[in-house]
Amino acid sequence: MVFEELSGLKEHYLHCVRCGQCRSVCPVFEEVRNETAAPRSKVFLAHMLSSGELRTGPEAAAHFSRCILCQACTRECPSAVPVHKIILAARFMLARKHPSRIRGTIFREIWTRPALLNLAAGLIRCSQSLGLVKMGLACGLLPPGFSLPGRLPRQPALDSLPEITPAAGKATTRVGYFLGCSTNYLYPEIAGSTVSVLSQLGCEVVLPKSLKCCGLPLLESGELEPVAPMALYNLAAFKRLGVNTVFSDCASCTATLKELQAQQLFSGIEVLDLSGLLLELLDSYNSGMKALNRVATYHDPCHLAGAQGITLSPRQLLRRTGVEFREMKDAGNCCGGGGIFAIYHYDLSMKILNKKIASIEETGADIVATFCPTCVMQLRHGLAKHKGTIEVVHPVQLLAQSLILA
Amino acid sequence: MNSHRLAAELRKIFPGDRIITGELERRIYNYDSSFMARFHNYMPDAVVLPRSTAEVSATLRLASEHKIPVVPRGAGSGETCGCLAVRGGIVLDLSSWDTVEEVDVANMQVIARPGVVHYKLNKHLSEYGLFFPPDPGSTRMCTIGGMVANNSSGLRAVKYGTTEQYVLGLEVVLAGGQVIQTGGVKCKALKNVSGLNLTKLFVGSEGILGVITKVRLRVWPRPRARGIAMACFADLNEAPAAVLDVYRAGIMPSGIEVLDASAIRAINLYRPEINLPSSEAILLFEVDGNPSSVEWEGRQISEILGKRAFSLEWATDPDRMADLWRGRSVVAVAAARLRPDGSRIFAGEDISVPLDKVTEALRKIKELSLKHEVPVVNYGHIGDGNVHTAPVINLNSPEEVGRANKLVDDIHRLSIELNGATTGEHGVGAVRNQYARDEHGEAVNIMRRIKEALDPDNIMNPGKLLPPEGDTGGV
Repeated sequence: MVFEELSGLKEHYLHCVRCGQCRSVCPVFEEVRNETAAPRSKVFLAHMLSSGELRTGPEAAAHFSRCILCQACTRECPSAVPVHKIILAARFMLARKHPSRIRGTIFREIWTRPALLNLAAGLIRCSQSLGLVKMGLACGLLPPGFSLPGRLPRQPALDSLPEITPAAGKATTRVGYFLGCSTNYLYPEIAGSTVSVLSQLGCEVVLPKSLKCCGLPLLESGELEPVAPMALYNLAAFKRLGVNTVFSDCASCTATLKELQAQQLFSGIEVLDLSGLLLELLDSYNSGMKALNRVATYHDPCHLAGAQGITLSPRQLLRRTGVEFREMKDAGNCCGGGGIFAIYHYDLSMKILNKKIASIEETGADIVATFCPTCVMQLRHGLAKHKGTIEVVHPVQLLAQSLILA
Repeated sequence: MNSHRLAAELRKIFPGDRIITGELERRIYNYDSSFMARFHNYMPDAVVLPRSTAEVSATLRLASEHKIPVVPRGAGSGETCGCLAVRGGIVLDLSSWDTVEEVDVANMQVIARPGVVHYKLNKHLSEYGLFFPPDPGSTRMCTIGGMVANNSSGLRAVKYGTTEQYVLGLEVVLAGGQVIQTGGVKCKALKNVSGLNLTKLFVGSEGILGVITKVRLRVWPRPRARGIAMACFADLNEAPAAVLDVYRAGIMPSGIEVLDASAIRAINLYRPEINLPSSEAILLFEVDGNPSSVEWEGRQISEILGKRAFSLEWATDPDRMADLWRGRSVVAVAAARLRPDGSRIFAGEDISVPLDKVTEALRKIKELSLKHEVPVVNYGHIGDGNVHTAPVINLNSPEEVGRANKLVDDIHRLSIELNGATTGEHGVGAVRNQYARDEHGEAVNIMRRIKEALDPDNIMNPGKLLPPEGDTGGV
């Protein structure tokens, strides 16, 4: 992620020789199977957009929205073209030229204010309880992507977790917990496991009650302006509590925080990889663990494996719980989630997901673990559709079982 | 025929999700990898994505009736505008028609539709212990149909030859929609000299004679072992001499690649972990076969190269070999890393010269680069005299673009002067057809007559391969 004007990226899109190597790794291209979905087509159109040869408008916006931002093309590009950054910059430009009241209300007004976001989550929960969401989906008033999150839990994680959770024994480390929106509103149980595991492993966990979103949904939607103030606000919240290192159980949040750091918007604080931190803590944990009698596989989130290059430590972590680990085919391939992508392009997202589900099922595992709550949501949705019995968990949940059962 | 009517007619042939008529989407079909495409707007009137011979045939009948140009396209990874609608018309995007129809292990052949991607074909064949030897640098994206239409080759052509040596037969749809089989209607034989060799006529014809809709390819047993020798030279002139030394020793490597100092730097910038030694030239020799023959050839090559090279590495570790080979296969586009304001361009990048002229070609290209003040990266398949030159220029400077065009023209003319060819494997398209008369003389007239016989209305990929209209060569 980067927060740049399209014109500032000119040198990058000129570097694109349109060789087409990006076609070989793009999950969207793999499904659409024509040049309009090739990542290089977006670089080509971004160039035209920037030079004024291409009209801004819904057609261009639709084209640039058809990207999961998995970054596979950026990693693959032999000319080092940061394709995903160019796509984000194009989205900023298009959003600025054509402001949308609905998008603005959601991302600028609600998403930037935790109280309003809580209220919105509450309203969704009520609508779900009254069957309104189901009805809306059935009669087509709501796009099918709204079925992805499933039933929202009664209480967000932030309501039930204390600001400071002391270490179970003697505290060896003090870490700040960046609780992302997905974990908070969709999977408070993951947050609960994260806090209890870290506490048991000797960490004092600091969770500022006033945190805002990391900003990723805004960046993806082209709503750039609130992102920097939100980042600075979150930084101040951690600093007020004397925190020097933060982690998140959400790969997307961590990737965004690291990018914010690169942009000098989250400076003076270290962003830790949770899997690495847990492995380190486990090395000095003496109380023993119970081996879980399960067969597990692992899905690499794009924002962890691709954006941050972290693939080994999550697998090591899983093995520490004693599960029988089975590698799936193409574990690094995207699951098709990507936050708002699955909402806007549900059918496409499902096609990409179907391949991932097939890879998971092929392993014969009874658990699939992944380090990203958005991937958890996507995989649960896919497995439910396939009527599979495989459980989707975050690795910290397995670790919690292994530690607690000890 | 206006574009609305054309779209309506095409809708009778294709389902809605396989026709592209929107302006923005058609503009996307305005590029390939060529430098030339950056400066032209070759937007087609419509794009269709066929997945059956009947669809291609119906499209060509329609096009023939209304004299609409038809342009076949694979992955659009070419470097000559070959797949661009330089005169408008219909682009046939064949890349989604990617079925491997049959792997006939008993007869050592495979039947594939044109959109199969090269590396996917070889991945599939590897399950049977087989492979399709031509190995283009664009393996991850280029399609078999595009390879046949351009007679592509790549890194292992020195031992295994080019695509044409593997094409046993083709299904081709001609301009009027007629479907023919070349290489025998029901033939499954590996050898066949009956009739005129129409297969060879269509291989490398760049879509100007018909649309290739099915390919029957000969495949080979996959070698059991490979090894790569890397030799570093303090003097670029030593590299071609070292290649001849190896040939004289009776060894035929599966690939011989050269990288000049700039290419080495580009690869190290792209993949620092490959860590190529700094030198004026590096030669990569790949040998394949069974484990003992590979070891023996590796030892022999190392001994021979040791007399000229200041550093030698012999690798059989799969990871190291993959790194060395991967670095070479991406240098084409990694060249842009050499200059922060520069972009690599694909122009004048594919000349082929006799083996005894390689040194001279490399020296003269350097001189031309200095003369026109355009930095270049040189690499290529030195084992068969195919030199790839990558100019790296500032695309924001019209003046520099002009100098690059002059350099490229000089490089093409140099190849003819050295008794070579303007293109060794990338093809002619719309960027090298201006040299056809100089290269082929009177034979161009015969090419024209073949084209006219098969495509009297000149609807098949017009403006490509043959010299521009008006060049009658005195006929």
